[in-house]
Amino acid sequence: MPTTVTMPRLSDTMEAGTVIKWHVKEGDTVATGDVLADVETDKATMEMQTYDDGVVAKLLIGAGDRVAIGTPIAVIAVDGEDASSAGAAKPAAAAAAPAPRAAASTDSPVAVTGTVVMPSAHADTGARARISPVARRMAEELGVDINSLRGTGPGGRVIKRDIEAAATRKGSGAVAAPASIMPVVAAPAPAAAASMPVVAGPGSREVAVSGMRQTIARRLVESKSTIPHYQVSMRFNMDPLLELRKMLNAQLEPQGVKLSVNDFIVRACALAMAQHPYFNASWAGDRIIIHGEVNVGVAVSLPAERGGGLVVAVIRNADQKGLRQISLDTRALAEKARTRGLGPEDMMGATFTISNLGMYGVDHFTAIINPPNSAILACGAAVERPVVRNSQLCVGTELDATLSLDHRVIDGAMAAEYLTTVRHNLENPATLLV
Amino acid sequence: MSTVTVIDPTMTATREIEFRDALREAMSQEMRRDPRVFLLGEEVAQYNGAYKVSKGMLDEFGPRRIIDTPISESGFAGMAIGAAMMGLRPIVEFMSWSFSLVAADPILNNAPKMLYMSGGQFGCPIVFRGNDGAGGQLGSTHSWCVEGLYSNVPGLKMAIPSCPEDAKGLMTTAIRDDDPVFFLESERMLGMKGHVPEGDYLVPFGQAKVRREGTDCTLVSFGRPVNFCLDAAAELAKEGISCEVLDMRTIRPLDIDSIVRSVRKTNYGVVVDQSWSFGSPGSEVASQVHQHCFDDLDNFVHRVHSADVPTPYAFNLEQEYLPNARRICEAVRSCLYRA
Repeated sequence: MPTTVTMPRLSDTMEAGTVIKWHVKEGDTVATGDVLADVETDKATMEMQTYDDGVVAKLLIGAGDRVAIGTPIAVIAVDGEDASSAGAAKPAAAAAAPAPRAAASTDSPVAVTGTVVMPSAHADTGARARISPVARRMAEELGVDINSLRGTGPGGRVIKRDIEAAATRKGSGAVAAPASIMPVVAAPAPAAAASMPVVAGPGSREVAVSGMRQTIARRLVESKSTIPHYQVSMRFNMDPLLELRKMLNAQLEPQGVKLSVNDFIVRACALAMAQHPYFNASWAGDRIIIHGEVNVGVAVSLPAERGGGLVVAVIRNADQKGLRQISLDTRALAEKARTRGLGPEDMMGATFTISNLGMYGVDHFTAIINPPNSAILACGAAVERPVVRNSQLCVGTELDATLSLDHRVIDGAMAAEYLTTVRHNLENPATLLV
Repeated sequence: MSTVTVIDPTMTATREIEFRDALREAMSQEMRRDPRVFLLGEEVAQYNGAYKVSKGMLDEFGPRRIIDTPISESGFAGMAIGAAMMGLRPIVEFMSWSFSLVAADPILNNAPKMLYMSGGQFGCPIVFRGNDGAGGQLGSTHSWCVEGLYSNVPGLKMAIPSCPEDAKGLMTTAIRDDDPVFFLESERMLGMKGHVPEGDYLVPFGQAKVRREGTDCTLVSFGRPVNFCLDAAAELAKEGISCEVLDMRTIRPLDIDSIVRSVRKTNYGVVVDQSWSFGSPGSEVASQVHQHCFDDLDNFVHRVHSADVPTPYAFNLEQEYLPNARRICEAVRSCLYRA
């Protein structure tokens, strides 16, 4: 029997995927582990491998086509089958392929690079979410993420009362966090639709919106429209840190390590969490969840050839990592994001986020909170300025940083105290070495 | 033709009469009103009816219009169909619908198809009526529910009242209808008392009635089991489950709109039908609800039928065989995931 390859579920909120690029063509011989295609989900673009050895008999959709998960997308002839007949038998093979086999089941012929274990409540069923029709409709109407629910119906079926309970929790703002560091699941997504009608005039052109752009639009509208944002800024004297960095990088160069200013900032912010736990917390409607791990997200912009946009790469347990490890992790993730694309495991679970535009020469800016975080730090460039030190006018290097904060969790004085700690860490950089 | 107002009998009636009296009132009022109407069947005249439905009618209307027949359903049913084709309006009483099976050819193969087969030349304005369903320890050959078998046939109408008020109003409508009407009564309900208006009134076909309003689950039924549903709804109310009980009153035509409206409100549907489950009105209702309410359902439509065996004779087995209130309660709890 030829194997039918179906669109896999590559993220817990994924409903459809787009084949960005086929890495194989019909007639190609493939072996287990070979990359078949780049697939764009709502979150990222990922590689899709084959689990079967054989010959690509048929590609059922073209590059750029978007299909629902479970939809047959290719046929692989195995065990010496005649590829052409396997390909010709495509409609039958496609029809015969039971849809539920598609998604995240372990015997699926397709898996994500690195075999991600998805934190989906339905991963264990190996099938698409079981949900009653009215529950599915209500979930859409009420903006409830069905993948965050465990159904109470037979076989884990999500039923009406599960949606009602979730909507009630959400109505009060709270959504249970399954584990302390799991994201407080996406609250309602007020439409990312344009609020004013937009008319294309002469000379204008339309650009198709990628899944990632849709997600950015949805999540940031949600963040900016539901979180009471405010900003607090502080200016740091970077002279001691730049001096230390210069010395360390000179010594570390033979080891291939080059610490960036951002690596110091990540560590300074992470260490400050010990004294300021509310900066590592999430608003959960009727309570605040203070996370048990300090996972610092770093915004990474993607090159145009990967479709542009940005992702947040997560440095896990950043408070327990030295500068060298933070630097290595950040570089590895940024490299992966810009070449192969991050997997869900690289992007989930941030508890605090840093966005740095210093390398572009930006003096200062403000950022939008990355839900369910309570704060994001926007860093400008370290620039030389005339400064007054010890009553003397001289030249110093300074960096402007602006925190955006969720006022439900963090008040202004708390923000000032946190920034004071970060400033102490950065202006006395030796503390960052221990 | 006198003016008839369609009314809700429960709003105006003050006197209580039995189901059998309500049927007789409808037949007698229509016979006074229309000389084409007559009644025939076994023991309907001199014996005043095997179940006393036609009591006194021979005295009022005489032997030309209240006709005792031999025990020959195929013969007298066929004769009545001929009379209907020629312009009269017969009412045929089957002592039990179980006995209509020997008249299957005239009542199924002729009456419902006559208008179609004659290219509109001959209609068949006839009423077949009698007891349907388990009458109480009558054994498997005398306990037929013919809803499933007969409602399958296009061209006929089928009315199945659950209370005296509807029995009179539906019978009046049946006699005035120009198509063959299969009118299903129940021996177990003939003594049931209820408020029934005195004048003539029509209960329109294809118009269900909400017998009990509710918010959590829609119970769809017709005929005697409607009363089981009301008992079940009262029991379930103690558990905090609010059932809406729909009495279809006719299943051909079927008022699917009322069912859809209710299911869209409750998101759950349970059909209670005393015929066997395979190829039954209950399965038809479930199918149509799935078609029209797919996105409104939180569970598949549950069905409660008589058990899929010949009707038992033993009292306890017969009770358990029927779609009784306990079995309805279990189905509702299961449908609502509360089992």
